Amino acid sequence: MQVNLRIRRFNPEKDSKAYWGEFNLNDVDPTDTVLDVLNRVKWEIDGTLSLRRSCAHGVCGSDALRINGSNALACKTLVKRLGSGDSVKIQVEPILGLPVIKDLIVDMEPFMAHYREVLPYFINDSEPPENGRERLQSQEDRMRFDDTTKCILCACCTSSCPSFWANGQYVGPAAIVQAHRFIFDSRDEGAEERLAVVGDAFGVWRCRTNFNCTSACPRDIEVTEAIAQVKKVLTTGEI
Amino acid sequence: MTTTSPDITGITRRKVQVQNNFERRAFLFMRVSGIALLFLAVGHMMIQHVLNSSTNLSIIFVAEQWNSWGWKVYDMLLLGFAYLHGMNGFRNVLEDYIHNRSAIKIINIFLAVFAVITIIWAGYAIAAFNPEAAIQAVGG
Repeated sequence: MQVNLRIRRFNPEKDSKAYWGEFNLNDVDPTDTVLDVLNRVKWEIDGTLSLRRSCAHGVCGSDALRINGSNALACKTLVKRLGSGDSVKIQVEPILGLPVIKDLIVDMEPFMAHYREVLPYFINDSEPPENGRERLQSQEDRMRFDDTTKCILCACCTSSCPSFWANGQYVGPAAIVQAHRFIFDSRDEGAEERLAVVGDAFGVWRCRTNFNCTSACPRDIEVTEAIAQVKKVLTTGEI
Repeated sequence: MTTTSPDITGITRRKVQVQNNFERRAFLFMRVSGIALLFLAVGHMMIQHVLNSSTNLSIIFVAEQWNSWGWKVYDMLLLGFAYLHGMNGFRNVLEDYIHNRSAIKIINIFLAVFAVITIIWAGYAIAAFNPEAAIQAVGG
């Protein structure tokens, strides 16, 4: 099949503003991914095209892009999903809400700064069990945060959130998902510190529940549901 | 933080201290007023436009309705909840797009004063409404 590819290009050393680069590719396999197509452009047509990618199997989360207007991982998006017939149009842009460094690469630091704010690590200062084994919890307790353990920090959710676009001070869905993962862990003792961060004026209250984050998540995490659960803890004081 | 053992469902419930800041109270108000408006606003629409024809709405109709303190209170509750719900939504939108803290503080104070004055003014108009005088004025 033929692919007409539009890529948002920007080279800070040459360009005063971003522009669309167009590439036509023939003999694209329908089961090729958008990452395969971008690699073909970079390796065969224009070596200056800049993009992040690593594992190419939807695990590392480094190739989050805005593809045909929706956030997704380029390595998990098949060309055949973007159109039918012999010719498909694909438009690829960097994810929104974060400063563009070059072409499809954005500065992830503002995103990571919010991630660090919610203390995304296990906090428990009490003595470990005397038998030297792990801190046990019931299967039901483990299931409460199972969904939010799947986050790969690709930023698809946060960069699809209109509240984050409007104000980058909002911690964003990904940071709240990370906070949820530890707040709902019965073995963790840092819930109050995290709730102080996500209960702030730039925390969960900025969420307008428009579900962009849930639609964008390549790991199918129920992001809006997780945010709602954190809001409930903040309103009831009970986990 | 107080922790209890897993309950019958296997889930460990924990009590936590949470900050009771303005945003939390505003969030709760939006939920409570949203539920109240579901009944008040839908009830208002049903009464005005379904049970009565909107083409027959006149000062006489309003005067007859506001002859009862029950309806006056109903409309004052509708006024208060709808106005504050809308104003808080407006505040949220403005806070999304205006990032200067001093500017947003001044705007919030203005919105709060404007909302309180408008609600008191409109509430007084409803409370002080004299149905008989209104009917006489239009020759009813």
